[in-house]
Amino acid sequence: MLTLRTLPQALRDAAGRGHGCLFIGAASPGQHADVHRTYADLHAAALGISGALRHMGLRRGDVVALALDDAEAFLTVLYGASMAGVLPASLHPPGATRDLESYCGLTAGVLTASGARALVTSGRVVERFDHARHACPKLDSVISYDELANRPASPGPPAAGAEEDGPALDDLAFVQFTSGATSEPKGVALTHRNLCENINAINGPHGLATTDADSAVSWLPLHHDMGLVGMALGPLYAARPAVFLPTHTFVRRPAEWLRAISRHGATVSFAPNFAYDLCVRRIRESDLEGVDLSSWRVAGCGAEPIHAPTLSAFADRFRGVGFRDTSFLPGYGLAEHVVAATFAPRGRPLRTDGALVSCGAPLPGHRLRIADEEGADLPEREVGEIRLSGPSVMKGYFERGAVACPRPDDGWLRTGDLGYLADGELYVCGRVKDLIIANGRKIYPQDLEWGVDELSGIRRGRTVAFGTADANGRDRLVMIVEPTGTVEAEQLAAGVRRRVADLYGLFVDDVVVAPGGTVGRTSSGKVQRALTRARYERGEIG
Amino acid sequence: MRSLSILMDVEAGVIEALKNVSRRPIQPVPAQDLIADLGFDSLQVLELVADLEDRFDITIPVTATPAIRTVAEVIAAVSALVEARAGA
Repeated sequence: MLTLRTLPQALRDAAGRGHGCLFIGAASPGQHADVHRTYADLHAAALGISGALRHMGLRRGDVVALALDDAEAFLTVLYGASMAGVLPASLHPPGATRDLESYCGLTAGVLTASGARALVTSGRVVERFDHARHACPKLDSVISYDELANRPASPGPPAAGAEEDGPALDDLAFVQFTSGATSEPKGVALTHRNLCENINAINGPHGLATTDADSAVSWLPLHHDMGLVGMALGPLYAARPAVFLPTHTFVRRPAEWLRAISRHGATVSFAPNFAYDLCVRRIRESDLEGVDLSSWRVAGCGAEPIHAPTLSAFADRFRGVGFRDTSFLPGYGLAEHVVAATFAPRGRPLRTDGALVSCGAPLPGHRLRIADEEGADLPEREVGEIRLSGPSVMKGYFERGAVACPRPDDGWLRTGDLGYLADGELYVCGRVKDLIIANGRKIYPQDLEWGVDELSGIRRGRTVAFGTADANGRDRLVMIVEPTGTVEAEQLAAGVRRRVADLYGLFVDDVVVAPGGTVGRTSSGKVQRALTRARYERGEIG
Repeated sequence: MRSLSILMDVEAGVIEALKNVSRRPIQPVPAQDLIADLGFDSLQVLELVADLEDRFDITIPVTATPAIRTVAEVIAAVSALVEARAGA
């Protein structure tokens, strides 16, 4: 039985065991050196950040927001804040956003919702953040990681004392603001107990069965649950080495992911379905020279619906360089449940049902059921909402500096995902909620609707966005707008596309400029998204 | 000195790269926005960058990609890098 530890305790334990993290191409701008940091180095750096945060006046229970793309910076601030008893809240980082002004505006909304007193982000955001600051009255400081790392530490208690002040198992460990729409932000609040219970189950015999021979490679963003918990904290709690590539390196050159696995003899690496597809489409034979994937014993797949033909194509394509079909480890989970809820048995060929892939049974100590609309249990092979209970269910949603929507009294988390059980194994087949998934990224239709609401010529509050699956199971993005004036439909549609591209980097597959009254509203004033989508799919709109 | 032939090659190469990365039939013209008009997603923008780097033997800095929104901006960015390399 593994013991339960807080994040600072896990870091301190790992610091005594020698290994650490390799951050590839993550040095200061202009350089592309690889940086190796042992867990002891990270522990020391985090201690410095912890002192600097205290020096800035942050106290136990205060919230510090992180909007950082760089993995080393992200992890150091996360650990440092945690050591100081300050609650880290991760936000969507700027990445390669096309419109920094809009990014700052959107971030200001999330910051207000988080109740953060400080924001640690990249230098270019700090420079541009001034105009958005008035929107976040609780925010005292906006600081770059470099500046924070070079700040003097609080003169007060010595380093050891700082650690004794650290969090308890039932304190919040961090808040992830990836789960609500930006227009109605909600953070997922997890305790150290949640985190450790899930990680222990992942590393345990029914999950990865992590041993002293394991090491991880990841390019997943750290503001995402699979990137942070699965690929950074999982290895940390097991004191195993981890290699981090920048996300954009993988997206530009997917072969770099496989080359890193090969070069470091990595045994564990997770990715969403789209990444396996990208490898098949983009990697050329010449990219594979010298690549050997035979060390890769766990090729995890999760975070978005898993498409059996995609994984088969990947296995066929890379079998010649040592990839084994039995390495695939499909799983299901979500941030509200730390990261993982189920895994298929390790070392077994994919079990499929049509194009669906079995995600296996719940982790030990965790429970899963399929419920109908009234919440009653459904028998095997009947589709309903996936509900989860156990020690990994989040403490609740975080709003304005506190847990505002605690988990329900009956302890069952309603995931909003649809699935069924067959021989006790889970097949995920859709969503109750209105999420749109594009390349592993969850898009809230409210954000898209809100984003175009202010365009001139469009009737406010009468825009509907939704995804509708195409023949390949990919979401097509559709937006229905109503005009207010005499602007040409074509021009309105172009305006909508441009706005969504600027704000979210997405292409709207179909913009329908519909006559007034097409988009209905509920008695509470919300747009009738599901109804409008059903009418569109029946061909009644457009 | 700007070589007209280099620039014409760049334009043709960029358009070929755009067509190669796009999964729809497209006829790119300079004023078009990659995402809003040509239907690229953010992954495809980076895919395009990788294609252009291979095609022209250049390195497009990550920090430069957010500023590239239109076909004309792609052509300008690539031209500058190709000229810098030719001049070096």
